[in-house]
Amino acid sequence: MRTRRTIAPYLFVLPCVLMLAVFVYMPLIQNFFYSFQNISLLSGKSSFAGFDNYKTLFSDPVVGKALINNVKYAVISLIFQVGFGLVLAAILEEEFLRKVSAVFRTIFFIPVIISITVICLLFSFVYNPTDGLLNMFLQAVGLDSWAKPWLGSGTTAIYAVIAVSQWQSIGYCMMLFIVAIQKIPRDLYEAAKIDGAGKIKIFFSITLPQVKEMIFVNSLLTITGAFMVFNEPFILTKGGGPGTSSITIAVLMYQNGFVRDSMGYAATISLLIFAITAVLALIQTLSFRTGKGD
Amino acid sequence: MAGKLSIYRLIVLLPLLVGVVLVVYPLFWMVSSSFKSYDEIFGSVWNLPSEWLFSNYVTAWTKGIGNYFMNSVIVTVSTIAGVVIIASLCAYGLSRFRFRYSKTLFLFVLGGMMLDPQVCLVPLYKLLQNLNIHNTYFALILPYIAFRLSIAVLLIRSYFLGIPKEIEESATMDGCSVFRTYLSIFLPMSLPIIMTTIILTSYYAWNEFLFSIIFIDSDKYRTIPAGLMNFKDALSTDWGVLLAGLVISSMPLIILFIFMQKYFIQGMSDGSVKG
Amino acid sequence: MYRMGRKLGLLMLAGLLVVLTACSSNNSSTAANGNGNGESEGKTTTLKFFHRWPNEPRNSYFNYIKEEFEKQNPGVKIEMESVLNDNYKEKIKVLVSSGDIPDVFSSWSDSFAESLVSSGRVEDLSSMYDSDPDWAKTLVQNQLKSFTFDDKIYGVPFTMDGKVFFYNKKIFSKLGLEKPKTWDEFIALLDKLKAAGYDTPIIEGLQDSWAVGHYLGTMNQRMLSPEVLATDYAVGTGQFTDPGYLQVLKYWQKLSSYMGPNATSVNHEATRNMFIAGEVPIHYLQFAELGYLKDKPDLEFDYFNFPQFSEGKGNAEGLTGAPEGFMISKETANKELAEKFVKFIVSPENAAKFQQDVGSMTTVIGAATKENSPPGTLEAIDVIQNAAETTPWLDNAVDASVADAFMRGGQAIAADIETPENVLKEVQAAAAKLKAVKK
Repeated sequence: MRTRRTIAPYLFVLPCVLMLAVFVYMPLIQNFFYSFQNISLLSGKSSFAGFDNYKTLFSDPVVGKALINNVKYAVISLIFQVGFGLVLAAILEEEFLRKVSAVFRTIFFIPVIISITVICLLFSFVYNPTDGLLNMFLQAVGLDSWAKPWLGSGTTAIYAVIAVSQWQSIGYCMMLFIVAIQKIPRDLYEAAKIDGAGKIKIFFSITLPQVKEMIFVNSLLTITGAFMVFNEPFILTKGGGPGTSSITIAVLMYQNGFVRDSMGYAATISLLIFAITAVLALIQTLSFRTGKGD
Repeated sequence: MAGKLSIYRLIVLLPLLVGVVLVVYPLFWMVSSSFKSYDEIFGSVWNLPSEWLFSNYVTAWTKGIGNYFMNSVIVTVSTIAGVVIIASLCAYGLSRFRFRYSKTLFLFVLGGMMLDPQVCLVPLYKLLQNLNIHNTYFALILPYIAFRLSIAVLLIRSYFLGIPKEIEESATMDGCSVFRTYLSIFLPMSLPIIMTTIILTSYYAWNEFLFSIIFIDSDKYRTIPAGLMNFKDALSTDWGVLLAGLVISSMPLIILFIFMQKYFIQGMSDGSVKG
Repeated sequence: MYRMGRKLGLLMLAGLLVVLTACSSNNSSTAANGNGNGESEGKTTTLKFFHRWPNEPRNSYFNYIKEEFEKQNPGVKIEMESVLNDNYKEKIKVLVSSGDIPDVFSSWSDSFAESLVSSGRVEDLSSMYDSDPDWAKTLVQNQLKSFTFDDKIYGVPFTMDGKVFFYNKKIFSKLGLEKPKTWDEFIALLDKLKAAGYDTPIIEGLQDSWAVGHYLGTMNQRMLSPEVLATDYAVGTGQFTDPGYLQVLKYWQKLSSYMGPNATSVNHEATRNMFIAGEVPIHYLQFAELGYLKDKPDLEFDYFNFPQFSEGKGNAEGLTGAPEGFMISKETANKELAEKFVKFIVSPENAAKFQQDVGSMTTVIGAATKENSPPGTLEAIDVIQNAAETTPWLDNAVDASVADAFMRGGQAIAADIETPENVLKEVQAAAAKLKAVKK
């Protein structure tokens, strides 16, 4: 390590710091200023708003609705992506599947690589009430009564949207779990086998504890992702419809900023998103440190 | 024992195969329908095309996807170049020098990871307008670079830290300058992590949606994710062509994945960063 | 050697910074020149043209216009951009307010146009009309008022429109049904159709929130007195406390219940196709959509205006629908060329071509003939010209946030997840917020 006093290191770091300062930190701070203003892009005018935007934030019933949808997103994603993702990974690491598991892995991972725009447009075909794959399949197998206007009904829209995210992302969690499982020492499994432990017991007594750090990481990632969901409701239900039944907090921010032309309020909503995700990220960073420590 | 095992296997395999069908069928349908005419897409949903309309792909490409595709290539490649250069410089500065504010600066850089791009949407939008680069390639490239830097620095820095001091020292003895050492020793030695960075960045830049619909107004600069939305509106009911467009849009990353699976998985698990 | 390295590093950083700053300062010019389209620089005059019709058949028509104009005017390059509907609405507002305004752009009429005009960046075109009265006479005169504010004309209307209920004549005559005049007759008609086996006697693609807006706009106009409407629609004075609004939303609840459970999950285009295919007997359509109906020649159709409510205070003969047209930027460097281009689009020949290719009507007198127009066009032009009163689309008539509250609320009512009372509260809240912001 060089310890000479020199400006060289600063020069190396400068472009990076500059980029982050201008395009990441400055906008974040500006949000605070904007949140105290009424800003209209349309007229180009802005005025001081005091705490009005914050008052709206806490009284706006749609904010609550959106947050509930985000929570639904988080809970369902935890079950499917983290829960089923782990089970899937454990199964694919089974000995008798060793030869074919690479094929399965690739298949489950492909949706992860496909752009969410493509996937949402594809699923708007799947969900089409009259000609969609899903309803046609249900009719073909005689479950006509199950066929629904999935994206158009207030009761199913949010779940139909969430389902698309599960379809896309389960492979991602699975892959992370596979990487973690592969790091588990083989002799642990050998020993358990000699003790005569069953598959399920091995899963709960060895696999699960050994990957608990990855479970934690995956859970946090999934929850954070759930609070930032934008693309799926934006495309599939045209911005959270019908009404606001499938709206998420990020879509609400977009609507206020770019449809209703109240940028100040949109900035206030971004601060709410920031608060939620920053807490989650902080938990992750802190626990990573302690995790590495022990 | 064997009988018991095969029942177990059956119980395991059955849901697994159902899962495969759930994942594969929609994709298969997308590809096969992309060769169909409008009537056939809805008329014979479950069949293969009676006549394979490769013309759908030609139409999709010429009616807009080709343009969006090239824009995506330009934006993605520029973003990759920017991220790799700026992040590796920064990582080098942070890992090979001990200087007064190195810890603070490292934290500053890392902090960027805690911020999701959408939080900055409104101010960024105004910033880009003030800089007069709204609705140009730079409106996407610069924010994309900025938001990928933190993770890239983190990855590259820890790799640099793993490069033995002796190598660097011998380079200095041979008369290499600091910058030379970075350029001709550190960069080539870190190819694996650079590859990982490239893949993570291209994954992000190719698929990013929110910025691309807001920061770009004109079709000329629109990248694939935003372009597809416009493409869909413009086509009205030409579903075969739309589906062909969807397939074309997905190909580059699928190909990248097939050839670089190792780096992909490495990158995803190192970065643990979801799009 | 060490110092050498420092210098190199500096150089590289400097290079990087140059790249970064260069992009920020130069780039609007790169955008304008469009990098290497192989034309000799300096000689070409570029006109930026932004419109809202990227979809066929209009897209091809505007491509033709662009090419033809460039052919007739060597050295002129039209840089054309387009995005659809709702997106266009957002984009053009932003472009106008940010000053990055295209030379020529399309606009809706009335309050939408007015809000663009209020930016002070839209050219007053009165002199264009005054200096060329022969040209000015070619346009349907009652359409000009939609672009006139403070006695100045800020736009050139091009398309003309009206929204009415289209119905399938064969189905009506088979069941012995007649055009309804009042709301009660209309509901009775829907019930009869339902009894005759049409589960959805009327439908609309309610996933498109603007489609909801088209209904609510007309219903508000029919229900409320013009004075009340004017006060509530104006930014800053809107309260929406008249009981008529609640009644409208209740009627909407009733009407949307006939549209079936799928209505909120499909778009307008899909439901229009259902009407064309004869699956649904009634559809609320724009005259501009006549062109789509000719695709199926055995479809026999006719139309009737929105029926009046018995308690309605608005003009029962009013027609919802407004012209769309073109505006010119005040900041354009080529005002004459821009005017020439607009006149080129609305020239009788090109208007006739639009009528022929697109099938919907223009404000250009005589552009539509029996030969080049889909059936029903000439009658429709009569209807529009003689309309007692024209009402702009709801989303053009009120501020975006109030319109959004109406449209999303209407969608929620149709999906049966919200009550008219709650939706009205949302509308009132949006209007109150506007009041606070704009004062």
